[in-house]
Amino acid sequence: MSSSVVKVDNVTKRFSGHTAVDQLSLDVPGGGIFGLLGPNGAGKSTTIRMIMNIITADEGKISVLGGESSRDLSGRIGYLPEERGLYKKMKILDQLTFFGEAKGIHRKTARAKATEWLAKLGISDWALKKVEDLSKGMQQKVQFIGALLHEPDLVILDEPFSGLDPVNSQVMKDVVVDLARQGKTVLFSTHIMEQAEKMCDRIVIISRGKKVVDGSLAEVKREFGGRHVALTFTRHADRAARVLADRSLVAKVDDYGATAECELAETGDADRLLRTLVQEDVGLARFEVVEASLQSIFIAKVGIEAATAPAKETVHA
Amino acid sequence: MHKIWAVIRREFVERVRTRAFLLSTILFPVFMAAMVVIPGLLMSRSTGTQRLAVVDATTDELGQRMTSTLEAARIGKGEEAPSRYTVTRFPAVGRAITVRDSLLPVTGRSRKAEGGYEGILVISDSTVTSGKAYYYGANVASFDDMRELEQTLRPMVIARRLEGMGVDLGQVMQAVKGIDLETGKVADGKLTGESGAATFALAYAMGLILYISLLIFGNQVMMSIIEEKNNRIVEILASSLTPFQMMLGKVVGVGLVALLQIGIWAGAATFFSANQQKILGGMGVSASGPMAFAVPSMSPGLLMVFLVFFSLGFLLFAAAYAAVGAMCSTTQDASQMQMPVMMFVLVGFFSVFALIRDPNGTAAHVLSFVPMLTPFVIPMRYSISPLPPLELGTAILVTVAGMLAIVWLASRIYRVGILSYGKKASVRDMVRWIRTA
Repeated sequence: MSSSVVKVDNVTKRFSGHTAVDQLSLDVPGGGIFGLLGPNGAGKSTTIRMIMNIITADEGKISVLGGESSRDLSGRIGYLPEERGLYKKMKILDQLTFFGEAKGIHRKTARAKATEWLAKLGISDWALKKVEDLSKGMQQKVQFIGALLHEPDLVILDEPFSGLDPVNSQVMKDVVVDLARQGKTVLFSTHIMEQAEKMCDRIVIISRGKKVVDGSLAEVKREFGGRHVALTFTRHADRAARVLADRSLVAKVDDYGATAECELAETGDADRLLRTLVQEDVGLARFEVVEASLQSIFIAKVGIEAATAPAKETVHA
Repeated sequence: MHKIWAVIRREFVERVRTRAFLLSTILFPVFMAAMVVIPGLLMSRSTGTQRLAVVDATTDELGQRMTSTLEAARIGKGEEAPSRYTVTRFPAVGRAITVRDSLLPVTGRSRKAEGGYEGILVISDSTVTSGKAYYYGANVASFDDMRELEQTLRPMVIARRLEGMGVDLGQVMQAVKGIDLETGKVADGKLTGESGAATFALAYAMGLILYISLLIFGNQVMMSIIEEKNNRIVEILASSLTPFQMMLGKVVGVGLVALLQIGIWAGAATFFSANQQKILGGMGVSASGPMAFAVPSMSPGLLMVFLVFFSLGFLLFAAAYAAVGAMCSTTQDASQMQMPVMMFVLVGFFSVFALIRDPNGTAAHVLSFVPMLTPFVIPMRYSISPLPPLELGTAILVTVAGMLAIVWLASRIYRVGILSYGKKASVRDMVRWIRTA
């Protein structure tokens, strides 16, 4: 891995009264996919906007691609803001061409690239339509193209998958993974842990403007430790819940109804849990000793009340 | 530079492509032409021959003479012009009211109806002595019809009175003949062949063009910035372009749209004025008298001066509008916040009227050095008499300096403002934004 592409050094940003980002330091190495994770309102977008030099930090220093101002290097950076905006009355192709030109690439090149990307994402037929005629998902694709068509070395995506259906989500994910494979650096923010877990090489979790987890995905999981069991049962969910509520066996449960992820208690072991569940006849479809999922690490670190991911409730016996 | 061009092109192309641009470009000349043609059409229709009943209660030949005077009146000039009135005389000495009443049932018909009269004119001996005549008709509210009738009768009555005093009418007419002041403009020690009215019209038109452009297109700059803020496209722009590039690109792009539109209009007006005989003739309207419409000619020097000051003025005010747009998040806020800018536009425009009476007075000289006002004042003064090069040069320098200062201030406000959402900025915010490094 090369040296850091984005370096955020002890940065603080306050908005009237509250501190949105509190002495945050980040180090995004070149190449690979970097996930900036955190619940809503944790300061992810604020951090990204400061990196993009859209707002300025109150304290601390930020350097991007070795420079002080990301705008001077805007041709090498692709940015998808959280708040999506397009010119509603403009035709898709014209709009993308303009975005390319604004990044400093030539008009013809921009047009060619835009056409290429529209074909790649399967929306060529819409190239001459106006933005206002497009569905939200398609608009998001257009913006995604806008962030990528000048072939930036660094791609910064703020919540790129929010509001997309699974099919489009998959298309975008493939593009992002492909970028990383080409040696580009991708920094993206999300609060959907499943996505981050599948894609990220490195993650940082922030909560209330402060960093709570930092490292490669493997390191983070190793450090979090614990013995975790992933379960799927097909009947008698109530009996299963009773077993999982046994604190001598299970320390913590993340229950999704038909599936659950639990952390074994100090005194418990996997064999005993398996035996008990079989006895209770819950129709086990899966029983696997696993590393902690990012979801459970996230909830453990950020605190259950701050997490916004689905199924926050624990089971009460 | 390349990036600014991209912004300018986007602003220009997207605006020119809109239906609104097409409509306003076409409708404005149509509207202007209508203003010239419609009154003409209306007038020619209202001046058809009227059927008049004259109830003559005079005891001498006055009624007869008046009838023949009325019959001799023509619509327009020349022998072949149609008669204004067809007159039927009803001798009615001593029973004018009875005769009038008997005529009422067939009076006040529309001009197209057969038979009857449009109006009844009642005259008597007292028409000469006290100047009283009576008219009854459906068209009494028509100012033009009544004035026409009065003007036809007046010389007759006056002549009659003068005769009574033993004065010769011909001599009187000779004596009261007025003078007619023909004006000709002198510029650069030469006769320009322009009349006073044309000079005034030109000075006024230049002020009006700048005034309208600033109000319409300045507003467009402001509104499109608010729109960009609201749909958050500004984040994508701000990550690629400097605020200065964004603002200048927008202002210049919109300015070019304004110039294009004005160019089309000026071209259309010149064409119309050059061919108005044909166009109006084709519509069955004569192109003489009050409907004659001429585009004042502009000397190349004046055109240059106008274009320079139009451009400077547009940049200056549009930048101010851009700053206002950046300070607001809603159009309601904006309409309040733009008041100070609008005040300057208004003052500039009205100073043209105030100064045109004394274009080389002290006030005119002083206002020629106020950057917000020069774009209005200088072309007006130049159109009346070309300014000395030194004064013109100084005025351009002052305006450029003022324009740069305003653009600089506006871009500093713009830079912070475009990324601030929510409530509109206060004056204190504005000062803080300007001072932010």
